[in-house]
Amino acid sequence: MAAADSPSATLRRHDLCSRGIRLAGKMRSDVVDLLDTYVERQGLDASASVAAVEGVPAAAVEHWDEQTGTQRLLENLAAYRAFRTLLAQMLEEQQEQVGEADTALGRALAAVLLQVSAFAYHLEELLRLESRGPPSEEAVGSPSPPHLGLFERKMRGLGVLRELAQWAVRSARDLRQLTKPSPGSSSAPSPADSP
Amino acid sequence: KNLKCVTHNLRKMICTWDISSKGRHGQNDFCYTTSDLPSPVCFKTKEKRVEIPVPDSSSIMTITTNSIAGTAFATKEFEIHKKDISFAPLTPRILSLTPDFPTSTLNLKWSDNGSVFPYGLDAFWQIQILRKEAMEKVTQVTYYSKLTHEDVTLSWNWTSDMPLECTSHYVKIRCYINVTQFVGPKDWSDWSPVEEVPGKDTEPNASGVFPQDTVVAVGSNVTICCVHEEGQQIERMTYGSEVYPMIHLSSRSSAIRVLNTSASDTSGTNIVCRLSEYMWDGTVLFVGYAPDIPEDLICETSNFLIIRCTWKPGRPSGLYGKRRTKYSLFERISGKNVSCEVNEMNRERVCGFPVLANQKTYHFTLGVSNPIGQTESSLLVDLTQRVHPKIPEKLTVSGNSSTSVRLHWFINGSFAEIRLLCQIEISSGHSEQKMHNVSMPGGKFSIYTAQLSTLHPYTKYQFRVRCSAADHFWRWSDWSRIEEHTTLEA
Repeated sequence: MAAADSPSATLRRHDLCSRGIRLAGKMRSDVVDLLDTYVERQGLDASASVAAVEGVPAAAVEHWDEQTGTQRLLENLAAYRAFRTLLAQMLEEQQEQVGEADTALGRALAAVLLQVSAFAYHLEELLRLESRGPPSEEAVGSPSPPHLGLFERKMRGLGVLRELAQWAVRSARDLRQLTKPSPGSSSAPSPADSP
Repeated sequence: KNLKCVTHNLRKMICTWDISSKGRHGQNDFCYTTSDLPSPVCFKTKEKRVEIPVPDSSSIMTITTNSIAGTAFATKEFEIHKKDISFAPLTPRILSLTPDFPTSTLNLKWSDNGSVFPYGLDAFWQIQILRKEAMEKVTQVTYYSKLTHEDVTLSWNWTSDMPLECTSHYVKIRCYINVTQFVGPKDWSDWSPVEEVPGKDTEPNASGVFPQDTVVAVGSNVTICCVHEEGQQIERMTYGSEVYPMIHLSSRSSAIRVLNTSASDTSGTNIVCRLSEYMWDGTVLFVGYAPDIPEDLICETSNFLIIRCTWKPGRPSGLYGKRRTKYSLFERISGKNVSCEVNEMNRERVCGFPVLANQKTYHFTLGVSNPIGQTESSLLVDLTQRVHPKIPEKLTVSGNSSTSVRLHWFINGSFAEIRLLCQIEISSGHSEQKMHNVSMPGGKFSIYTAQLSTLHPYTKYQFRVRCSAADHFWRWSDWSRIEEHTTLEA
């Protein structure tokens, strides 16, 4: 974390973290609902296992508790930028494949995409507080969609949404970790609620 | 002994024979003579086979077998009559066997070798299709052609009931030529060597489920295969949520056969080939209907700027997104073509076509197509007889008399080419509703007026107006908004 913060920066970060935790919670429940709709509309088997999907950042992390706050924010931001691109691809494919015939799934996808974008912006705000600023978008690079058959794309979408649901949980934990007073700084009230 | 002669081209014949005594032999002395040869033709041959001309009637042959040292030890004379000579065409030559994977079609091309035979002979070609590792016969067809004394390339297509990627397909061909004037026995040629179209299951590391993301008509029987790497085992193959029995094609390929497929959901029917928990492959099948012939195609104009065609689409195709049914409007007289943006979810189908300068008659063809089929519907229309004006707007009523008023209204559109007929509905509290018809020259985005008299003084009236084409009535516009007006006191 940065050198000792000014009280206003601490309060600002605390506020951003709390709102981020709530946003992550809402995102998670919406993604879970979206997953159900997605499985049903795409005719998939809910119990199907999907191996790690290329281009989808894994939520599981080793030595989670050893990460610095900045590392957490940077990893979160990279993930949500990737998810933003992946969800936009899914939305485009959905429109191409099904057109007007399934607007419900399209709307649900768009709603989650909006939340992911908002959350990414939120993380950028937090990084700006670190006075180091978020990495530029090109640095992250967006995963170009490999040429896949339709069924593989359906399964890939399933993998993306499942991983996003995991990330929402991890993000809430990461943000909660950020609100804990780091050694030597003044203690901050713990967030009112959590997802 | 066993002297046999066969001709492949009706001019030369190949005679073969056996030698009964065992042991090693030297060269043979072969002589033949026919009725139109001045003297026998003789030559030596190591083979027990010679090629000599086909005789007009018969041929006498003398074969002398010599020992290794060259001394004759057996001589035999044969008389071969024309009826003893058999005819079998040469083995056909396959020129190409070309797969078209998207349509699972094989195209076979071969030469009919017609230059060897007289003009006009009937030729029959037996074509055999074989499949799988075991080269099982799938089908055999007979193709007919007429020889033209020239070498013609013949072509034949065959559509497999299974994607060509699933396993190797093989083709071989033989032929029979009906030489009517040939008196000897006639036979089929030998089979040609097989030509192969290798399946994906012969390609190293190739795998996949085929056909990939294809569209079929409801009721089709479909074969879907799963090609996997050597050593892998398919746990199961499902169509939708149903597990299907597998058909073994080769060590790296198995298939399922789905009969009488029903319409798929919006996102298609998934076919999953599960090799293990985390190893699966799959494809999506879209099962829908070919488009119906559009019904009640109507084209009209409300403003002489745009022609608006509507129709009833018939049964939904069940195909969406980029596989949806697409419409285009082609106008034959001008040659202009317009593609129509149609939302497959709403029932009404509408397409706009620009009114063309100096063109009154339009011959429309509405083309309809989707990946399963296409159809069309045509309509010839005189635009002046299909005018359906927009709703009259800005109706105002003015009048400074007790028994007459003047109405003004605007109609959005260019009607300069026709006369308009407008109907004014006059209502008042205590007298019966009256209709007043008035016709007038059409204008271009004009305001129209009408005078009404014989009204009652000091009476509150409600007026509304609608219009249509005067000369060739087609449809009324909708009624305008109601406008109230009270006549002055007498």
